Amino acid sequence: METSLPAKFAWRLLIGLLYVFLLAPIIIVFVVSFDTRQYLAFPPESLSFGSYVKVFQNADFISAFWRSLLIGAIVGLGAVTVGTLISLALTRYRFRGEGAVNFLVIAPFIVPNIVLGVGLVLVLAGFGLLDTYPGIVLAHLGITIPYTVRTVSMSLMSVDRRVEEAALVHGASPFNVFWRITLPLIRPGIIAGGVIAFLISFDETTISLFIVSVRSSTLPTEIYRYLEYSTDPQIAALSVVLILISVAVVIVLERLIGLRKAV
Amino acid sequence: MTTSDRKGNRGILLLLLLPGLLALGVSFVAPLLWLLRASFSTSALGGADGSWTLANYADVVLDPFYWRVAGNTLNYGLTVAAFAVVLSYPIALFLARTTSRWRGVLTALAIAPLLTSGVVRTYGWMVILGDQGVINGTLQALSLIQTPIRLSNNFLGATIAMIEILMPYAILAMLSGFGRLNTQLEEAAAMLGANRLKVFWRIILPLSLPGVITAALLVFVLAISGFVTPRLMGGGRVFVLGTEVFQEATVTLNLPLAAALAMLLLVLFSSVIVIYRRALRALEA
Amino acid sequence: MADKHVIVEQLVKTYPGSGAPSVDHVDFDLEKGEMLALLGPSGCGKTTILRMVAGLITPTSGRIRLDGRDMAEIPVHKRNMGMVFQSYALFPHMSVAENVAFGLEMRGVPKAERAARVERALDLVKLRGYGERRITQLSGGQQQRCAIARSLVIEPQLLLLDEPLSNLDAKLRDEMREEIRDIQARTGVTAIFVTHDQDEALSMADRLAVMSAGRIEQIGTPRQIFDRPATEFVANFIGAGNFLTGTVVEPHQANVPGLGMVVFGLDAPLGKDVRLLVRPHRFTLNGKGENAFEGVVRHLVYRGDTLTLDVDVKDRTFLVDLPTHAGTLPERGDRVTLTVARDDVTVIGTAA
Ligand SMILES: Nc1ncnc2c1ncn2[C@@H]1O[C@H](COP(=O)(O)OP(=O)(O)OP(=O)(O)O)[C@@H](O)[C@H]1O
Ligand SMILES: [Mg+2]
Repeated sequence: METSLPAKFAWRLLIGLLYVFLLAPIIIVFVVSFDTRQYLAFPPESLSFGSYVKVFQNADFISAFWRSLLIGAIVGLGAVTVGTLISLALTRYRFRGEGAVNFLVIAPFIVPNIVLGVGLVLVLAGFGLLDTYPGIVLAHLGITIPYTVRTVSMSLMSVDRRVEEAALVHGASPFNVFWRITLPLIRPGIIAGGVIAFLISFDETTISLFIVSVRSSTLPTEIYRYLEYSTDPQIAALSVVLILISVAVVIVLERLIGLRKAV
Repeated sequence: MTTSDRKGNRGILLLLLLPGLLALGVSFVAPLLWLLRASFSTSALGGADGSWTLANYADVVLDPFYWRVAGNTLNYGLTVAAFAVVLSYPIALFLARTTSRWRGVLTALAIAPLLTSGVVRTYGWMVILGDQGVINGTLQALSLIQTPIRLSNNFLGATIAMIEILMPYAILAMLSGFGRLNTQLEEAAAMLGANRLKVFWRIILPLSLPGVITAALLVFVLAISGFVTPRLMGGGRVFVLGTEVFQEATVTLNLPLAAALAMLLLVLFSSVIVIYRRALRALEA
Repeated sequence: MADKHVIVEQLVKTYPGSGAPSVDHVDFDLEKGEMLALLGPSGCGKTTILRMVAGLITPTSGRIRLDGRDMAEIPVHKRNMGMVFQSYALFPHMSVAENVAFGLEMRGVPKAERAARVERALDLVKLRGYGERRITQLSGGQQQRCAIARSLVIEPQLLLLDEPLSNLDAKLRDEMREEIRDIQARTGVTAIFVTHDQDEALSMADRLAVMSAGRIEQIGTPRQIFDRPATEFVANFIGAGNFLTGTVVEPHQANVPGLGMVVFGLDAPLGKDVRLLVRPHRFTLNGKGENAFEGVVRHLVYRGDTLTLDVDVKDRTFLVDLPTHAGTLPERGDRVTLTVARDDVTVIGTAA
């Protein structure tokens, strides 16, 4: 149906305004990151890369950044490995307790992170793992495994079982079938699952805030703590760096396998 | 690779499941059990060394402060959900119906904020709504106001920021729930004499309702369990369950109380999901 | 002319961004109660015409009149036309009865009357008792009939159908053809329907408009279109044919190079080149006649009612359909004589 011009214009205007609202904080963070003053104010007085320089000179931020990257990488790898194994069990075998496992891998979706955070404090404190790498990695594994199981399972389900059967018939052992046939076919799902797990870990704030303090603080928790006292443009610069990393990861993923296919 | 329960498969199955079950056991099942135990514990650190008590729940239920917190939380969740849904609906509708070749880009743009940490976007809102922020700065520069308007460090700021932060979720949920929308149905209705308004009320709205309900639930549930945004944007003046749980667990270090509050949140959360399922089933019948 | 029910004049549609017009200066009209078929290959602009008539898209230029009223300024929902979509476009969140009642509701028809009229409409399409069903509980044919009931109940001044039968299987399609024709006759509704199935067009429509690349090639009764195609495109599109090119050397006689003299019934100017058409089933075997061609059966296909032959006559091949009950049938390799009466040789482009 064709719409009258004024109506079309009003509708487009509304959509445009809503997009502005939706993207406002990101745009503003970007603008402010080029400000140089010690306090938060708008508009910026002058534009420079001063805040970026300060961020890269801030030892706390730098070490938190490397920690986040390391934790994200371990979580991504771990979650996707464990998730692939579970997915294989769920899609290729029938066993007693299948329903329970199925429930277990979606349940974390429906428990708020803040609730899980309190529980994790209790558990990790018992093991002496509060504010340690193993502690935060474990915590992040719990919330990322459901995602990796989901993406890898979807890949596995789309693999034509007859291809696997054909390989078996032609003399491949079950292990070889997996290694030579199934794994290459589900690689996009595995990469996507790993990247999603990385991104979640890299951005996770709520749970991290419960269990990290100085030794294992990640970038988002570092930002949060900083924001409780100060809102100077350094944070903006740091935020932009954080955004750019996420965007870069997604673009690489899109280039690599096509994001739409993967998620 | 067959799908039977034969003996040879037992070993493989164990190998496949064990790492995952262990990981989820430690990072998900144990925390919930410990949480439950702690909420009934007398021990200050919520350990199993304490004896059983209902005192933590009593503390919560008997303190009018927590009633107010519960009320605030509900109010916060509902307000954020209502606005996020209303503001996301046009975008989702637009994206679902447009045939523009920019559609892919615009969809990506609408959900791209998900790639940015909530902390970062909260910071963005602090810059926008702060006393010397974008809005106050602009209004003052235009001499429209002398003293800044209070837009942050209060409920209003925490609400505005949370609405925006959760909108991408709402848009995603709506887009996946708009499957039954179809321009031909709108054309058919118009041919039968329905004007634009009636086409919207009788065709577009009912067909998009499942997506809208899902979006509302998702936003509500995320809003009532959030604490980063209410805490940073509320400037310590917004008390919702999320902020209180965090406060008790990490600042006051009263873990049993934090556990009791968290359990309360979980109950609230689950009841909303149950209501949602009922609503959706009623809609489908 | 002005008293026709529907008049379409010089209609043009060029979609934004595409160079050539999708509909190019199209004219046609309909009497009250008439059924017109728009027929043509995929992409020739049939749907575009229908959607312009409906008001769903705006013509680039040209005029559409309904009962003498120019439709240009009248929005879709006030045109009082019914439309049956290819995919039916039934409202999935409403019952069958609610779907049918929708148009009446939009017109503010009181509830009691609405119910009665819905009942009658459902009766008409043989869906009595299905009112409370959900759309998803109907079969394809029933959905189709529900869509028809929905567009007829508003007593439209014009009914538009866009390939209404293309989603049905072959048998159901035949049944629905009859039924639509029957419903149209009983209600007396004026209708335009789009199809690219020539059988459908020939068997259902009072008149056909054969389209190609946005233009109407010929418009006429099924008989005119079939027997007197105005262009080779029309002749080819409707049914199979044998085409011959010759020069008119005497009245009703053309010299076809490589074949000889061919006699035809129509008038054609002397000395001009003409294209002649012989439909495959107009040939008779081993008869006596003016046009007799000797040849050899190269290939034959038995089709039940008919036997289709490829007969090599000199350096060309004729396509011949013979009724299978016509005595002894030829075998492959047989020498045969094909004859065709002069009135069965059509001169293309001499349509009335
Ligand atoms: N919305 C549009 N924008 C641009 N071009 C269009 C649009 N709709 C149709 N066209 C073009 O106009 C021409 C006619 O399309 P139309 O749909 O009318 O064909 P049709 O005869 O109905 O074909 P079919 O039998 O396949 O349904 C086609 O070339 C088509 O590509
Ligand atoms: Mg068409």
